[in-house]
Amino acid sequence: MSGWNLRLRQVPALRVDLRGVTPSALAGLSAAQVEQLPVGHGNEMLALAELFNIAPGKEEGALRFEGDLERFDRIGWQMDAGRIRVEGHAGHYAGGCMRGGELRIEGRAGLLVACEMAGGTIDVKGDVGDFAGSTLPGSMDGMRGGIFVVHGNAGERFGDRMRRGTALVHGGAGAFLGSRMVAGTIAVGGSVGAHAGYGMRRGSIVFAEARAALPEGTRSAPTFVPNRAATPVFWALLARDLARHGGLFSDLPMRRIERHLGDLSADGKGELIVCL
Amino acid sequence: MTDLPSVQRNGVVIDQTFAEAFPMKATRIVITAHTLEWARHAAVSATGFATSVIACGCEAGIERELGPHETPDGRPGVNVLIFSMSGKELGKQLERRVGQCVLTCPTTAVFAGLPRTAGGDVAALGKNLRFFGDGWQISKVIDGVRYWRVPVMDGEFVAQEDTPVVKAVGGGNLLLLARDTDGALAAAEAAVAAMKRLPNVVMPFPGGVVRSGSKVGSRYANLNASTNDAFCPSLVGLVPHSELASNGGAHAQQIGCVMEIVIDGLTEADVAAAMRVGMEAAIGVGPAGGLLRISAGNYGGKLGPFHFHLHELLGAGDAA
Repeated sequence: MSGWNLRLRQVPALRVDLRGVTPSALAGLSAAQVEQLPVGHGNEMLALAELFNIAPGKEEGALRFEGDLERFDRIGWQMDAGRIRVEGHAGHYAGGCMRGGELRIEGRAGLLVACEMAGGTIDVKGDVGDFAGSTLPGSMDGMRGGIFVVHGNAGERFGDRMRRGTALVHGGAGAFLGSRMVAGTIAVGGSVGAHAGYGMRRGSIVFAEARAALPEGTRSAPTFVPNRAATPVFWALLARDLARHGGLFSDLPMRRIERHLGDLSADGKGELIVCL
Repeated sequence: MTDLPSVQRNGVVIDQTFAEAFPMKATRIVITAHTLEWARHAAVSATGFATSVIACGCEAGIERELGPHETPDGRPGVNVLIFSMSGKELGKQLERRVGQCVLTCPTTAVFAGLPRTAGGDVAALGKNLRFFGDGWQISKVIDGVRYWRVPVMDGEFVAQEDTPVVKAVGGGNLLLLARDTDGALAAAEAAVAAMKRLPNVVMPFPGGVVRSGSKVGSRYANLNASTNDAFCPSLVGLVPHSELASNGGAHAQQIGCVMEIVIDGLTEADVAAAMRVGMEAAIGVGPAGGLLRISAGNYGGKLGPFHFHLHELLGAGDAA
């Protein structure tokens, strides 16, 4: 498996579908074969070389995209190994259905980032749009594994129907955070919109901001109940794991927590954890 | 064995023989609690009645105590090693012992204490105990490891899903032949104290010492082990092959009490290291303290493939 550098020639006129351009798919291909890889542009197919200047990269098994890729969707789609680095923004569905490897986006990303992600690591330095770490329309399960880190803010419905894995937002998040969550862990550093944990069955949502109040609509909701039982072992394990990501999460192991259990309208075994 | 040459150290005769040990399956679990005392309570209970696989199902012991910085959850804890004759039996014993002695003990949690290897065997830890939660149990995967959170009356019991099982060595042993009870106990206590400082081994018998050393087989058909009559001072003159009669080599007729130390270890090297330091500590007690001779349980190759030769362990060339 060899690496490639792809520098954007110019912003395309229409949206481009980059599914199929993954380290595994490019492994063993010659430069000519890589240049001729077909990618969708609107309703036509273009050769990859029509959009990018392609050169061999130094890093084995790594793809490096340079330029503003905001019109490029499905970067790292179904990726299973290797590394992709986007030195700019990314479009929709980045890291969708990813099973392994590492996707790093230096800018912001569009809608449905990490949707139905099952493994590997996604790291977005900027903001992400709505439905990140969520489910594709019509699917039952959202994120199913791996680690998803957003350094900026997240849109609405972050982690909708999430089933497994860890998702962190260093900034804030919109409404319906972790809605219909089945399991897994979401941790948020900033403020959160209304209805966090709406319909969650299991899983943990951690609010790391010091003295964070429960989001609007949650404390008053009769479907979440405060819990006074000590859970030092679980919290020590989880807080130590989250602390690895630094920022507001770094001092979590030293913080006390307050837990609210719910959503009782679903299964009632989820928890909203407020760090005091 | 008594006709073979022996060497002496500090006036203690070391028999030219070997301890015969056998393969076992083992795991290490880490029990943590709010205080070290409660972790100890759980560990002592969980390792109770685990002296010999002859009738206990497993051999187990406390390996060492852990500070808060050494445990997964930052609380004080205890390392426990459990050995059994098969992975299946080990799993059964783990479930019973952790379920009855750790789950029940206030504030405790239990974790795997061995590194996971790809494709390696595992035994269930919280995997089956979770059903105690009656549906309220919650699974949590943290950093790729699955834990179970079982609601209990003091909060929740956290148990790692499973624990790796490795091949191990059971039945390493030393026989300490002394002038009297005081001498035998002094030598045994010194040896056990030295061995306890080593990692990866436990001495599963009470206080690390066994007075009812056994031989393979019995005159009774339903017993697979019976008293080691060759080393019973009470049978001198009655047992033709007694090691303590006049044909038993130097000091034979002065020996009035024999104690055995049984060692289980994760590897052959661990058992060998423990036997070495145990012998050295016992030799330090010497004839002045009542210890006259060191031997080992050797069953003519019928028991197992691991042979720990006493002279080799001590470096016989140095013996004087």
